[in-house]
Amino acid sequence: MRKYIIFIVLLLLSTPACALEGNSLLFQIDRNLNPDSYESYKKLINIEPNGKRREFVLFTVKKEKDKVAALFISPASEEGRSTLRLGENMWLYIPNVGKPIRITSLQSVVGGVFNNSDILRLDYTAEYDVKTVEEEGDNYLLHLKAKTRAVAYDQLKMWADKEALLPLKIECLTEASMLVKTIYFKEVKDFGGGILRPSVIETDSPLYKGYKSIMIFAKIKDRKLEDEVFTLTFMPNLDSLR
Amino acid sequence: MAQDEYSFDLSEIEKKPYAVGGYLELTPRVFFTDPDAAFYKLNFYDKADKDLLDEYFLKLSMDGRYTRGFSEIYARANINTTESDIDSDTRIVLDEGYLSLKPASGFNISIGKKALRWGKGYAWNTVGFVERLKNPDDPELALEGYVVATMDYIKSFSGPLKAMAFTPVILPVFNHINGDFGVENNINYAGKLYFLFYDTDIDLMFLKGNSRSSRFGMDFSRNITSNFEIHGELAHIDNSTHKVVRSDGTLAASTRDVESLLVGVRYLARTDTTFIFEYYRNGPGVTVDEMQGFFGLVDNGIDVYRLSGSDALLKKARTVTEESYGKNNPMRDYLYLKVSQKEPFDIPYLTPSVTCMYNVEDKSFYLSPELFYTGITNLELRLKAGVISGAGNTEFGEKQNDFRIELRMRYYFDVLK
Repeated sequence: MRKYIIFIVLLLLSTPACALEGNSLLFQIDRNLNPDSYESYKKLINIEPNGKRREFVLFTVKKEKDKVAALFISPASEEGRSTLRLGENMWLYIPNVGKPIRITSLQSVVGGVFNNSDILRLDYTAEYDVKTVEEEGDNYLLHLKAKTRAVAYDQLKMWADKEALLPLKIECLTEASMLVKTIYFKEVKDFGGGILRPSVIETDSPLYKGYKSIMIFAKIKDRKLEDEVFTLTFMPNLDSLR
Repeated sequence: MAQDEYSFDLSEIEKKPYAVGGYLELTPRVFFTDPDAAFYKLNFYDKADKDLLDEYFLKLSMDGRYTRGFSEIYARANINTTESDIDSDTRIVLDEGYLSLKPASGFNISIGKKALRWGKGYAWNTVGFVERLKNPDDPELALEGYVVATMDYIKSFSGPLKAMAFTPVILPVFNHINGDFGVENNINYAGKLYFLFYDTDIDLMFLKGNSRSSRFGMDFSRNITSNFEIHGELAHIDNSTHKVVRSDGTLAASTRDVESLLVGVRYLARTDTTFIFEYYRNGPGVTVDEMQGFFGLVDNGIDVYRLSGSDALLKKARTVTEESYGKNNPMRDYLYLKVSQKEPFDIPYLTPSVTCMYNVEDKSFYLSPELFYTGITNLELRLKAGVISGAGNTEFGEKQNDFRIELRMRYYFDVLK
């Protein structure tokens, strides 16, 4: 009888430990994708069903879990626009308008399949809790649940390489488990400074049949940034960080 | 997948110390006039009648910057040419030209001509104390700045108060410097204090000096849910001068303290439809009776002109038009609604929208449907129409043009980068 009680107590105690281990795993995946504080350049390519494409080049800075800012460098029509994310707050600055306006994570400042939350992505641990972790051959399958309703996707299914602890594919789902989009992580590249991560992220969506969006990373670099960079007042000055 | 699809030429991200770019804009417009409207009579009493007006607007806007260390020089200038049936005009305007020093992320100073944009409202701003009035029919247009000395001091915190910024402004008004801001030979002081407090943007601002009435105000903006935002502005103006003209041409002036208010919401539906709704109370605005007094002056002026050839009353009417009655939204209470739909019927890069501006007191309104297309890199196409409706002696009912349509074509380019 005592053995059964000990077994049940250990089982109960092991469940939160699994969740803790899952969150530790997710934290490691976050750190393998990028340092805690960094700058990067990325190109977004929106490809239409007819093959036509639009390209945007962005300079991005991120600090800690929930501070991200991005500046459009090209094309000329977008140059100078910037977006800022501070936790659940998000703003867009357009030079002509001269002041930032609040936007939502579900919108997309560039069109295409990527939305603002994909472009200004926070650490997964900032927005999601790990519910379960499964093993599928050489990969982990993590089931993630959004911490709040403000998060763009209610659930994620993340396949990650066991050895590299890098994501391979993420399915983004609604609360009703409907597939919103799939994100593929490709072409692992050494960016220097110990950053070895996928350099290409592709996404497609059953809601945008025939459309595809691609994000290519260049020059990811660890960089210490002041908190004041991630404020509304600094948005017109983001270019000074380059 | 072909390798070139993933190409990222590093020369695209190389930053040079200088950059020059801009856009070229061509906008043909057609106006269908209303010969019975007060503003038509005022503008055309000494010209040949026109049922239809053609206008071509050409604009070359250039901006450039040069960066050295933590200093930067920035300038933006336009050449605007308007050709119409009744007039031709070319103006070269330096919208902005200033030196900035940015020694730290939390501190920068700017001196020169700079456009400072305050407020959270979309169509109107009651707290735009140091900026020119924007056109609520085209609120996203860049504005010409004023010559100022200003700085930003920014501080971040953890906790409910996440950030704070202080922006003081010195705005001199002398001959050839900010002459259209107000009374000359004065130095004016303004300031804005910004907080991000419990995920709410809050600003407190003031303007003091003898060029304009002293004023203070506040604004806020907050997301209630991720797709629903509310915002508001409130301004108090001390001793605002209120000038009205009567139908016999006599002028009356009074001073009083007034408040202006704006409240609005922005909502993004699941269908990617965006709704912007605002209520605007223009404290210094004229009443229905005072507006009708102006229209009466125009009618009287036309009668006198036809009888005697004297246009003295009409000239007086033109003067007060420029000062108040002819400005955008000269009356007191307005509602604004803009509904835009992103990529309907899966047509990429197309955004149709419709805007309505409604005068609550006289029940006249302006309606503007629009198609905005950005499917070609660096090219923006905007087809926009405007139609007014209102009874006689109402704000929109007495506008010069019943209907207008325009096609704005704007091409962006980089010259040096």
